[in-house]
Amino acid sequence: MTTTLEGRRQSPVQQLVAALPDAKSLQKLAAPVVAIGVFLLLWQLLTLSPDATLPGPAKVVSETWGLIVDPFFRGSGTNQGLFWQIAASLQRVALGFSLAAAVGIVVGILIGANALIYSALDPLFQVLRTIPPLAWLPISLAAIQQSEPAAIFVIFITAIWPVIINTAVGVQQIPQDYNNVARVLQLSRPKYFFKVLLPAALPYIFTGLKIGIGLSWLAIVAAEMLIGGVGIGFFIWDAYNSAKVSEIVLALVYVGLVGLLLDKLVGFIGRLVAPTER
Amino acid sequence: MSVFLEVEQIDKVFSLPGGGNYIALKGVELTVRQGEFVSLIGHSGCGKSTLLNIVAGLDRPSTGRVALAGRPVLGPGPDRMVVFQNYSLLPWLTVRENIALAVDEVYTDKSKKEREEIVRSHIQLVGLTPAADKKPAQLSGGMKQRVAIARALSIRPELLLLDEPFGALDALTRGNLQEQLMRICEETGATCMMVTHDVDEALLLSDRIVMLTNGPQSRIGQILEVPFERPRTRLEVVNHPNYYSLRSEMLYFLGQQKRIKQLRSRQKGPIARHGLEKVNLEVGYLPLTACAPLVVAKEKGFFNRHGLEEVTLVREPSWRAVVDGVAGGYIDAAQMPAGMPLWFTLGGHEDKPLPVVTSLTLSRNGNAVTLGKKFLDLGVFSQADLKAYLQRTARDRHTFGLVHPASMHNLLLRHWLATGGIHPDRDVDLTTLPPAQMIANLKVGNIDGFCIGEPWNIRAAAEGIGFTVATDLEIWPGHPGKVLGVREDWAQTYPNTHLALIKALIQACLYCAEEANAEEIRGLLCRDEYLGADPAYVQLGEGESNTCALGKDRLQYAHHLFAGAGVNRPSRTEQLWILTQMARWGDVPFPRNWVEVIERVCRVQAFSTASRELGLEVDYRRGPIRLADGTPFDADDPLGYLKALEIKSDVYIAEVPLPASLAAR
Repeated sequence: MTTTLEGRRQSPVQQLVAALPDAKSLQKLAAPVVAIGVFLLLWQLLTLSPDATLPGPAKVVSETWGLIVDPFFRGSGTNQGLFWQIAASLQRVALGFSLAAAVGIVVGILIGANALIYSALDPLFQVLRTIPPLAWLPISLAAIQQSEPAAIFVIFITAIWPVIINTAVGVQQIPQDYNNVARVLQLSRPKYFFKVLLPAALPYIFTGLKIGIGLSWLAIVAAEMLIGGVGIGFFIWDAYNSAKVSEIVLALVYVGLVGLLLDKLVGFIGRLVAPTER
Repeated sequence: MSVFLEVEQIDKVFSLPGGGNYIALKGVELTVRQGEFVSLIGHSGCGKSTLLNIVAGLDRPSTGRVALAGRPVLGPGPDRMVVFQNYSLLPWLTVRENIALAVDEVYTDKSKKEREEIVRSHIQLVGLTPAADKKPAQLSGGMKQRVAIARALSIRPELLLLDEPFGALDALTRGNLQEQLMRICEETGATCMMVTHDVDEALLLSDRIVMLTNGPQSRIGQILEVPFERPRTRLEVVNHPNYYSLRSEMLYFLGQQKRIKQLRSRQKGPIARHGLEKVNLEVGYLPLTACAPLVVAKEKGFFNRHGLEEVTLVREPSWRAVVDGVAGGYIDAAQMPAGMPLWFTLGGHEDKPLPVVTSLTLSRNGNAVTLGKKFLDLGVFSQADLKAYLQRTARDRHTFGLVHPASMHNLLLRHWLATGGIHPDRDVDLTTLPPAQMIANLKVGNIDGFCIGEPWNIRAAAEGIGFTVATDLEIWPGHPGKVLGVREDWAQTYPNTHLALIKALIQACLYCAEEANAEEIRGLLCRDEYLGADPAYVQLGEGESNTCALGKDRLQYAHHLFAGAGVNRPSRTEQLWILTQMARWGDVPFPRNWVEVIERVCRVQAFSTASRELGLEVDYRRGPIRLADGTPFDADDPLGYLKALEIKSDVYIAEVPLPASLAAR
């Protein structure tokens, strides 16, 4: 720490007070670390017994060390490094989610701008949105008959509802004031769309996208278990079938971390595009 | 200047979610001239913003039409730009971009460079050049509102609409912005319509102030012309001699709207009991010593004794409030100045003849003329002294306060001045003020004197602000002061109630006239809910009988008369004298059908019946009126009397058609 001229003039008490926020932020950082430590310790303790069906953290690490250190391993068929497994899953998500976002935003704006269509379609969307992702899989397989596009369709159909609903609400929630300004100035339609409607609805759209990406990630893991091929979902299923419980645990950690990163990524883009300050 | 904006018979009806309708505006009619600044003022929910939105085209009227420069308004457009209450800047655009959005949309024929120049100059106009590239979130409320004003002005709207533009700002910022807006409007000659609830803001900025009544069915209650010269400064406006009377006019209007709302919410249908058509009465009065009979009737149970079990005494701030209450039907009956029933009947209120009848005189005397302290120092003790003083200072403005054109004070003061050779309309100014504001106005020198009922003369003397120069004894001893007045249709709908009211008040008057009760009545009157005055200022028929210790000759106090021979009986001769005086000063025409008018107003029959039922002797003797100056008044030849008067306004004679009475229909 550098001591400035002002700093030297401060009494020790003042310095302590000034340093306090630092201590607090340190505490904030330390707390989750301690919690994870305690969690790992408990886990280790609970799995110490020889009858334990699940491995402890130490055992997980030692058994999967090969996978951890070499994520970029290239094998044949589904025998790939974890990076490639996750990349394959992400690719599907990217495709399905992008489609869902594009279609969802357009549909959302259309129904948000028209009260009649909204009231007609909203109940339908509310029902469809509650259908669990996996329930879509059989019907999509039956319709498409190919596993890869079927999986992408499941992502699409899972992610689209929150995008549509939030976008529609966003359009409806455009403050009357902004609409009045647009009406008084008689803004042209494209100008209204880009200068008023889109910026005003963006925060809502990104809320929808954030929920959508979370659901997509949930859906892909489950879908891949059923359709097979390279992907983190099938990797878990495969590990289960080969009774490699440690690998399942490792894969779960990765699934969790990637899900978190996806959520943060969309949130970050949202903040870049649509600053929340008003 | 020609009519620019026309608002014709606008109604606005909102349908309520639970079914049914809410009529927000009813029959609103308004025209605005080019370059005029008009304010809309009223309580929350009076529909002033709705009216503004209709003019803006953001809202459609249910019926009626709005036209700007002859073109009907069918929807919003940049020719009627709005400055919204909450600025309504787009938060994702900078100051420059927000203004450019408007400019680019409107000036499509101008080059990019010209448009940029317009934006730049308007940012400069509101002094925001340093903040031009900031987003609204980085600006204070005042700055945001300046951006909104710049945006509105940048497109040179034909009509600038402002919806409570400064409502959300702190006082200092508001003051600055008001002056900036005023300067900009004067420079650009913009026609403006502003919604506000700030009376001072309205007075500062407006050429006319449109006051809306409370909803539902809001309409324009009154339009106030603001005569201040432009360009204005705040200081000049505030110090203008008319500023406070205009301000109190607005406050009166707004206060009255609130009171009407209260009275409306309290108003129930008539409750009939004991053979009376209505026992729940609202009786209006002014806090004066002369209101004693009403207070006594209420407090000593005379109302109850005659079956009127739910009488509420409504204390009014001014006679004008009594007039509005009676005309609007919010009060059943009222203590009125003796001339008010005639004044109503002859169309004094809004030129609409409204027959009002009186069957009881509640008090006589109790009035005096007070002059300010400076006249005492100058030795002005008579009309002759005053006339000499007025001639000496002919270039100054001399103002006397009176409470209502129909009050005896007006007529007595005018008569007193005229007797001394002073023309009350040419030699001095007479201004109407509520009684409670007289002393304050005399103190600060807004008026030179006043004629008013007690306790205000005694109080002015006791506080050393003025002195009594004449009392009733010097003008017309024993003149009718206050009477009981009710609308004719009311008296015909509730005849038994009217009779019971007269009986209760006759007994109360008798009670007031007893010397032994004086102390008790004084205590009742001085309570906070009535006069709220110092008992020392309330003189009843006892004790100290001089008006004030100031002055050359200590004048004898003109004690209130509440009962006695011929005191309570309404007198046609007296009403006729009042009629001649009103005509003398041009307040009303002298009605060719004066016999009918007097008969209609002065209902001796009801008084006689009430007295007989109370077992009282009625004194029917009709003496001639004796005024202190000795002028005879011949009740058979009022026109001859009027002709003989030297000092008078233009007297005109006309047939006054009275509305048909209920009984005749």
